[in-house]
Amino acid sequence: MRAPLVLIGYSLKRVRTLVIAMAVLLAMFQILLILVAGSIQRSGSFEQLGELMPPFVRQILGSSFVALMSFSGIVSVGYFHLSVMGSLVGLSIALGTMPTSEIEIGFMDLILSRPFARHWIITRSIVVMVVSTAAVLGMMLIGTWAGLAWLADNGVRWPSSTLILSLAVNLAVLMLSWNAIAMAIGAGARRRSVAGGLAGLLALAMYLLDYIARAWQPAERVAWLSPFRYYSPFEMLMGNGLSGKNLAILGCITVVGFALAYALFSRRDVSH
Amino acid sequence: MARESASLYNARVHAESPESPISIRGLTKRYGRLTAVSNLDLEVDQGEILGFLGLNGAGKSTTIRILLDLLRPTAGRASMLGHDCQKDGLRARSLAGYLPGELGIYSDLTGRTVLDFLAGLSGKPIDREYRGELQERLGFSDDDLRRKLREYSTGMKRKLGLLQAFQADPPLLILDEPTEGLDPLAQESFYQLLADLKLKGRTVFMSSHVLSEVARVCDRVAVLRKGELALLASVEEIKKFAARRVRVFFAEEVGVDQVFPPGHQIEKLEPRLWSLRVEGLLGPLLTLLSTFPVADIEVEEPRLEDVLIKYYRREQE
Repeated sequence: MRAPLVLIGYSLKRVRTLVIAMAVLLAMFQILLILVAGSIQRSGSFEQLGELMPPFVRQILGSSFVALMSFSGIVSVGYFHLSVMGSLVGLSIALGTMPTSEIEIGFMDLILSRPFARHWIITRSIVVMVVSTAAVLGMMLIGTWAGLAWLADNGVRWPSSTLILSLAVNLAVLMLSWNAIAMAIGAGARRRSVAGGLAGLLALAMYLLDYIARAWQPAERVAWLSPFRYYSPFEMLMGNGLSGKNLAILGCITVVGFALAYALFSRRDVSH
Repeated sequence: MARESASLYNARVHAESPESPISIRGLTKRYGRLTAVSNLDLEVDQGEILGFLGLNGAGKSTTIRILLDLLRPTAGRASMLGHDCQKDGLRARSLAGYLPGELGIYSDLTGRTVLDFLAGLSGKPIDREYRGELQERLGFSDDDLRRKLREYSTGMKRKLGLLQAFQADPPLLILDEPTEGLDPLAQESFYQLLADLKLKGRTVFMSSHVLSEVARVCDRVAVLRKGELALLASVEEIKKFAARRVRVFFAEEVGVDQVFPPGHQIEKLEPRLWSLRVEGLLGPLLTLLSTFPVADIEVEEPRLEDVLIKYYRREQE
């Protein structure tokens, strides 16, 4: 059991700079949003801001639009803003394709020439992903609470802790599902650039599919294919709780992805 | 020559021993239509140093990677010290130290981090004293270990690779081109190290392109050609089949119209000097010379390279 722990410790050390940097940046982004929301609140401009929104955005947001145009709505954006989701999915893909990178540079030769079972490589990557997800989302939550405590004006209505925690949990499971998809692709690929590129393109396509389906009815029929479909921040903004169905579907994608990664990696040639 | 080497090969493919350090039977590896290794049979004996030779792409590294279960064979099987490399790979690999052809390690790590990390993965404690001794013999100081790999020269990376392969003192060592990039002093230390390991009963399976090195350190040589075993024999046996250069100096002028026995190639025939290449025993030549006023005879030891290069040339043809 010592050897897997050595590898996990080593891998965490390798990704710590990336994870810490991303965690700090995203925590700062939460604080920035609180400052922006406070500023709009003080100037009473939420209504004007809403009028500036193009009609298709209103159509996409539907009845959650009103909830979004508020102090707590703007603060919540930190958990589903495109840049935040892009960064987190990017991190998931980067960590998911770590084994492919290790094969490519020949590092895997040194690891697996030891009495070290292949399944530990995937298990290690999952542990690194879970720890990284917890670290990044934990820092985002700290950023939100610290920002609200120190920077929010008295009397403004904070987003509920249930809402913020629900967004964070749903986002965490979404990240894990993309990590699993990337790991499954990487387990069958020879090059990280190919695996990462494919997973990235797939993520972009799935994001657009979900986005388009919200405004264009025909796309709705295939939108269920997109993992992003099962992260519904606007419904949560409307007061709906964390959807167990969404979590279950994302959980299934994650389990299938990891299972595929285990199966492919145990059968493949490890050659660079 | 081909017939002779084939008989050498056949004589050497003996019954599979369950505890052989390395036992390969009918091993085949195909990549689509390309056959990298074809029906390879090979047995490495306990305590020997076997040189694994062949041109680039002959299948040496593929075979080594199958032994370490990095690649999965298309057919056949391989075992190390009685443990099947695929079915019982963990036990097999726990008994082997491996030096890859290229040390694929992140360059921001220090040498010590690499050694400690890889020792940690081996799952058994490392004797620091032994590691220190290895360091000393390979000329690798503690200061070197404190430096990051990006500051290492090619030779230093090779030394680090040797250290990580040897540090657990495994009974079997698999070395892929171990002296590539090493300076002459380090090469010499490495050869001494191999000799000591052999005395301790360790088995070494090493690929190399340096034929003089193979001739010096290996007990036997296996030559792969297009994935097939073309030659397997001891260095001494191979040398017997190499033509020796014989120079005969005469005390007075002799006739040059001579008929030589088979296996004698004439390089130069002069009244006072004959230069010949003789394959096999020297007896027939000495019988012939007994009637001549011979002043001196020079016999140049046959070189392994002379035989192996012939094999390599055949592959290119």
